[in-house]
Amino acid sequence: MAKKYGMVIDLKRCIGCHTCAIACKLENNVPMGLFWNRVLTRGGPGLDIPEGSYPYLKREYLPVACQHCENAPCVKVCPVGATYKDPDGRVLINYDRCIGCRYCMTACPYNARVFNWQEPLRIPGHSYGSQGVPDRKRGVVEKCSFCQQLVDAGGEPFCVTCCPARARKFGDLNDPESEVSRLLRERPAERLLEDRGTRPQVYYLR
Amino acid sequence: MRDKGYYLWLGILSVLSVLGLGAWIYQVTHGLVVTGMRNIVTWGLYITAFMFLVGLSAGGIIVSSSATVFNLPQFKPAARPAVLLSVVSILMATLFIFVDLGRPDRILNLLTSPKLNSPLIWDVIIITLYLTLSLYYLYLMGQPETGEGRLRVVAALALPTAILVHSVTAWIFGLQIARPTWHSALLAPLFVVSALDSGLALLLLVLLGLDRSGWYRVDKSLFSTLGGVLAVLIAVDVFFVFSEVLTALYPAEERLMRYVNLLLKGSLAPYFWGEILLAVIPFLLLVFRSNREKPGLVGLAASLVVIGVFLKRIWLLFSALLIPLLPYAPGVPLGSYLWPPFEFTRYYPVAWGLTGKYTPTWVEIGIFIGIFAFGGLLFMVLARAILAPGTPKESQGVSCGLTS
Repeated sequence: MAKKYGMVIDLKRCIGCHTCAIACKLENNVPMGLFWNRVLTRGGPGLDIPEGSYPYLKREYLPVACQHCENAPCVKVCPVGATYKDPDGRVLINYDRCIGCRYCMTACPYNARVFNWQEPLRIPGHSYGSQGVPDRKRGVVEKCSFCQQLVDAGGEPFCVTCCPARARKFGDLNDPESEVSRLLRERPAERLLEDRGTRPQVYYLR
Repeated sequence: MRDKGYYLWLGILSVLSVLGLGAWIYQVTHGLVVTGMRNIVTWGLYITAFMFLVGLSAGGIIVSSSATVFNLPQFKPAARPAVLLSVVSILMATLFIFVDLGRPDRILNLLTSPKLNSPLIWDVIIITLYLTLSLYYLYLMGQPETGEGRLRVVAALALPTAILVHSVTAWIFGLQIARPTWHSALLAPLFVVSALDSGLALLLLVLLGLDRSGWYRVDKSLFSTLGGVLAVLIAVDVFFVFSEVLTALYPAEERLMRYVNLLLKGSLAPYFWGEILLAVIPFLLLVFRSNREKPGLVGLAASLVVIGVFLKRIWLLFSALLIPLLPYAPGVPLGSYLWPPFEFTRYYPVAWGLTGKYTPTWVEIGIFIGIFAFGGLLFMVLARAILAPGTPKESQGVSCGLTS
């Protein structure tokens, strides 16, 4: 059976430390001003701000990257086939083919895609990503690839490795023995904007 | 005297076109960061103008081919200017897509690796077909020996193609599940009727201009007839908008209301209510027969309609783009980074956005003006060559247009 890579994020374990966002940036050589992975605050109007007034407060963190949807709107709209669903169930981008029309960005309900509006700027002034990360030039769209370079070599995405709260699990959703499948059997899970019918392969445990 | 004016305009438009080209070269060398677009509002003035121009183009040709298809001889004099206008508008629309690309050097990927799933590819196909048909139609109408039967076949093909060209443009937006205010079955009909009223209004303005310049005489009664048609189209347009907004307002679904409120009382309210006003006023002007008989008033109403439909394109595009569906802080990284940060204290708040902001930069406005100037230039040169009397072939064309 073909693989269907997916991720399970335990919201009860997430502490909102942003390590995943930074780990992603480092591993994938993401330039300044862009993030493939970000941590949102579900609660008040700003980052880390809870909802309600003291002492009746509520706050939750929500890490968001590409949802690798099964019914991916971005894949449908790409006019040149630069964005595609690979055989292992990931949504990937061929950066050499992208024409920079940004249609996929308007099609994505999660704002997971970012665009190289300017010449990619890195501080310090060199590439810091790991080997095998595709090069992205100015004028193309980029996003999370479930760390294709690591996963294809038998590893796991770097955000999963780095999460200090062990909130992130990665695996094959088609394999009933995998940890992600087991977690989804045992715990109630939600997906983002389920009413949009995109069937994300990223699940959030509550 | 007249020639002097012509060359003066030619000169002004050429200078503006070259300035636009310069702005585009600046954009290519610096990247799209010189525009006001960022990661939330990923489309801006260029795509607004694209929608607007496809509409102008389709509207003109729908009216003119109807003249042949439905055998309305009184509309026939409008046919050739209309097709010419369509050709120029669609070329301008294509240019706007081109300048919007992040990698214009890869535009040929659209031809070498097209993916038929994408409405953008549908648009490439239908625009190519449409442009070919329009050019052929224009050529046929210029040949005095062309038989009525042949013209009718081309017109009968051009009419559905023109309707389709604007429907496909609507579907680029309307098929997106991620964008609540676009995702509506009414979007294509709404686009088509906006195309009809704005296209017809522009055609009226062009006919007035041609008539004034003496290149192409148009009977006064044509203005009043077309003015009447315009009034009906405006009414249908407003009806569709009303139906669309009511369908959103009545259930008052929480998420959709965030977008609709942008239109009714938010940052897009001036454009939304402006468009309504610029539909109601010309309708009230045109609904009276006595007003329709004054070409000046018809021209005023037509220019209000053109501006109104442009405002509509603005609220249509941005109402869906300004708010991300996931409304949580800190939002979306906007994607530009200045180094060194000159205004460090002011820097952080603009690095992320909970909602989108968009103001076109001078580069975008320069390119916008440049493309419109180039379109105007193209139209003037072609209109003089094809429509104006003087050249032996053309005097025949005009008499043919007026008498048949």
